Amino acid sequence: MSDEREPRHDEERKAFREEADSLWRLTLGPVVWAGHFLIVYAAAAVACEKLGEMVPWLHWSLIALSVVAAAAIAWLGWRSFRQWDVRHTGDFSNPEGEAEDRHQFLGHAGFLLAAISLIGVIYVTMPLIFTGTCR
Amino acid sequence: MTRPDDENARDGDMTGASEGEAPDKRTAEGPYPPTEAMLAEPVPEALQREQVARLRAAWAPPKAWRYVTAVNNTEVGKWYSMTAFVFMLLAGLLALAMRAQLAVPENDLLSADRFNQFFTMHGSAMMFLFAVPMFEAVAILMLPGFLGARDMPFPRLSAFGFWCFLIGGIFVMGSLLFDAAPRAGWFMYPPLATKDEGPGSDIWLLGLSFIEVASIAAAVELIVGTLKCRPPGMRVNIMPLYAWYVLVVGGMILFAFPPLIAGDFLFELERSFDWPFFDPTRGGDPMLWQHLFWIFGHPEVYIIFLPSIAIAAMIVPTMARRPIVGYSWIVLSAVGTGFLSFGLWVHHMFTTGLPSISLGIFSAASEAVVIPTGIQLFAFVATLMAGRVKMSLPLLWIAGGLAIFTAGGLTGLMLAIAPFDFQAHDSYFVVAHLHYTLFGGMVFPLIAGVYYFFPFIQKKMLSEKLGRWAFWLIFTGFNLTFLPMHLTGLLGMPRRIFAYPSGLGWDWLNLLSTCAAFVIAAGFAILAWDIIRPKSRQKQIPRNPWDAGTLEWTHDVPEEAWGVRSIPHITSRYPLWDDPKLLERLDSGRYYLPDAQEGKRETIITSVIDAKPLYVQRVTGPAWISIFAAAFTGGAFILPTFSLYLPAAISGALAVCCILVWLWRDTAQIPEHDMKDAGLGLRLPVYASGPQSVGWWAMWITMLGDATAYASLIFGFFFYWTASPNFPPEGAVLPDGALVAIAAACFAAAWALTLGARLLNRAGRVGAARAALVFAPLLAAGAGTALFLAVRELDPTAHAFPALMWAIFVWIGAHAGAGIVMQLYCLARSVFGRMTPRHDADIWNVTLFWHFHAISALVACAVIGLAPGAMQ
Repeated sequence: MSDEREPRHDEERKAFREEADSLWRLTLGPVVWAGHFLIVYAAAAVACEKLGEMVPWLHWSLIALSVVAAAAIAWLGWRSFRQWDVRHTGDFSNPEGEAEDRHQFLGHAGFLLAAISLIGVIYVTMPLIFTGTCR
Repeated sequence: MTRPDDENARDGDMTGASEGEAPDKRTAEGPYPPTEAMLAEPVPEALQREQVARLRAAWAPPKAWRYVTAVNNTEVGKWYSMTAFVFMLLAGLLALAMRAQLAVPENDLLSADRFNQFFTMHGSAMMFLFAVPMFEAVAILMLPGFLGARDMPFPRLSAFGFWCFLIGGIFVMGSLLFDAAPRAGWFMYPPLATKDEGPGSDIWLLGLSFIEVASIAAAVELIVGTLKCRPPGMRVNIMPLYAWYVLVVGGMILFAFPPLIAGDFLFELERSFDWPFFDPTRGGDPMLWQHLFWIFGHPEVYIIFLPSIAIAAMIVPTMARRPIVGYSWIVLSAVGTGFLSFGLWVHHMFTTGLPSISLGIFSAASEAVVIPTGIQLFAFVATLMAGRVKMSLPLLWIAGGLAIFTAGGLTGLMLAIAPFDFQAHDSYFVVAHLHYTLFGGMVFPLIAGVYYFFPFIQKKMLSEKLGRWAFWLIFTGFNLTFLPMHLTGLLGMPRRIFAYPSGLGWDWLNLLSTCAAFVIAAGFAILAWDIIRPKSRQKQIPRNPWDAGTLEWTHDVPEEAWGVRSIPHITSRYPLWDDPKLLERLDSGRYYLPDAQEGKRETIITSVIDAKPLYVQRVTGPAWISIFAAAFTGGAFILPTFSLYLPAAISGALAVCCILVWLWRDTAQIPEHDMKDAGLGLRLPVYASGPQSVGWWAMWITMLGDATAYASLIFGFFFYWTASPNFPPEGAVLPDGALVAIAAACFAAAWALTLGARLLNRAGRVGAARAALVFAPLLAAGAGTALFLAVRELDPTAHAFPALMWAIFVWIGAHAGAGIVMQLYCLARSVFGRMTPRHDADIWNVTLFWHFHAISALVACAVIGLAPGAMQ
């Protein structure tokens, strides 16, 4: 990589090498959202059909699950934010065709996707809190 | 989406193994990336002339009547988009007829039945024959240009998809002429559609399933094209935004269309053989169809919307004369919208009596999707504000589109609130909303793209004056047609009625809508005329008429069929703006693949993330076989409409034969040399197998879609269990557990032998590999037979439970059949010397199929053999 700047931190150098699966990593935030969404929807549908109501233990488990999902997304977002590394580089758009910019761009996009996924999880949790009933 | 070994090739000097070593070590050799000095090296004039002649000969589309066999993306893309445009005009005429009928109360211009056919076909054609195919058409036409590629990776697959679309589209639209068109609404709700007399529903189900298959083929092509056919150096952070959108939309098609295909499969089994999947008197449930349809139907809206917004993302920076503001944010929008759009489907079913917690969840998700959708619009506005805007016709259409789409988005927010939806559901308010989103989100940006890209496509300009007339007619006509419909709907006028009484306050609103609809039509007439009018007297256009910065404007004027003269090394998002020497170097053949020494069509395949050159792909040329394959596939789908099952089966078998001939003759060919000079000192392999090759990726992506359809069937099983108090019904005959266990064991063994054949073949033990390929199909056939015997005692017409057991068996049996054909194909390739230990792409792809099939078969065995007993 003669024409490219070297990454600054040791851990980043490691991430550089592991870049191969980072296009997957981009979607991890939305995947957590999707998993949370499906579980909440399916659990509510089955409970309403088979039990006739949202029983309290299920209701509270789902809210707890939402907290876990939100925390997982927040952690993914934090990791991506570190990968973006905007506080060191001051580079918001990473437009260069080099490995470092590609690395930071994927961090930035992952961070933004984590943010939207977090909003998605919060939105989907709100009906659990405010209308936790089958009727 | 990549595997580690894709990126292993080091930068700097790509030293790899040479010929004669182990086959999987074939890698690029030579310097990469190219240095400035290498790029500055001139190419001798005489050599340039020879190269041009050879490239021209290799890529020339066939002449005269053989022109229909062309597979160049430029030709197929043009046919594809013009066909979709014609279907759009036809569907528009249906809308005009409906508006004419609704102009005055108690009109009798159209009969109720004809009106039903018209509104069904208007919606179906606009969705399945215009909006989705138009995305595929534009992408096939434009994507290689955006990526500086010679063509798509599988040109014949594009042609196959186009011919399927044409045949299916004519069949479905043609039914109108025989007064036999579908008439149960574009979402075909049972029981209305299942009980409907006449062939209408079958035409819809089979004709459109056929086109959905073509859509999935296009999605595979486009995803692989975006991931693997980018020019060297075009890393994911600098690829054109259009490519990001294509990736997202291709992925959405893979997860959205299969549930509908699974639904169609069940629906047609009910129509043809009376298997009661949606009949509540025999344990079925019409709600299952609604779920499957809308799991498709809502993402579908975004599948239509995102590609058009992608066109806007290409136009806006050019018109603002600056790079896009918020590239990462737009990637977020595309990917985020793609995901969230799968969590909205129930908002089409708010009035079906679902629990309020479910309504709340989907209402919330529907509100959340506004955020990523809005972000991209703000990014466009920010780009325009930060740039030096040159107002032009394409930008005018984009501006009109954004205004209309925003209005449609706002009514969407209202409809996403369940209590409001209860009031407005099935009224003209919804009609107004959906037309605002689709015109603003799809039609206007698409027309902007027509004006912007026409010089690229036809090497001619469209008329500025006619374009302004068309814009203002369509824009005002649109608003005068659909704005009043909000009010008509709130005043209580339901959708889909063919006549209405006077005195309800709807009269003048309907008359206004009708008059304005003809204004829209006038605008489209001008647009159509501008596109088709002869332009031979127009003088030669400039090569880059809009001063754009992206690669498609390196096109050749006058036209050349080779895509690009040489495939450039790209280092920025707007190479034409950032690299002033690019054009001259590209034209003189100083980049990659400037020649076609062997007279073959070739393009470079690069790695997924960083676009490092991996190998040279030989792409297929003109052929009749893909047309024959499409025609026979059409027969297999169309003939069952008339209950001609034997001819349909024969047609299907012929289609399979055509596809086998096509594969045998022209895919995974063993090249004359293992490596070739790709220019700039780089030597690349000419053959790849496994995860390096595009064929393997295509199989992977196809199977992902296939697995989604299968998962929808399995979802059906659990849906019945959830929704019905006794499923499986008490006293039902259960499949024979022992036979199911035998089937599972045989499937697993067939899979293991297939994998074993791949490993043995690569290790050079060809005889043992062939032996494995003899026993594997026998075991697979045995497994299928055992599964058949296990469900044989069940009566599929009695109840939804045995019917679903049978449906799963049919699905697995058909896939086992395909798997057997593939195993035998590999055996034959090996015997005839077309598959060797060093050249084993076929068996890699077949093994991948069997990975997926083994998992589906084992799931099937668990669902058939274990679940019913456990649930009862």
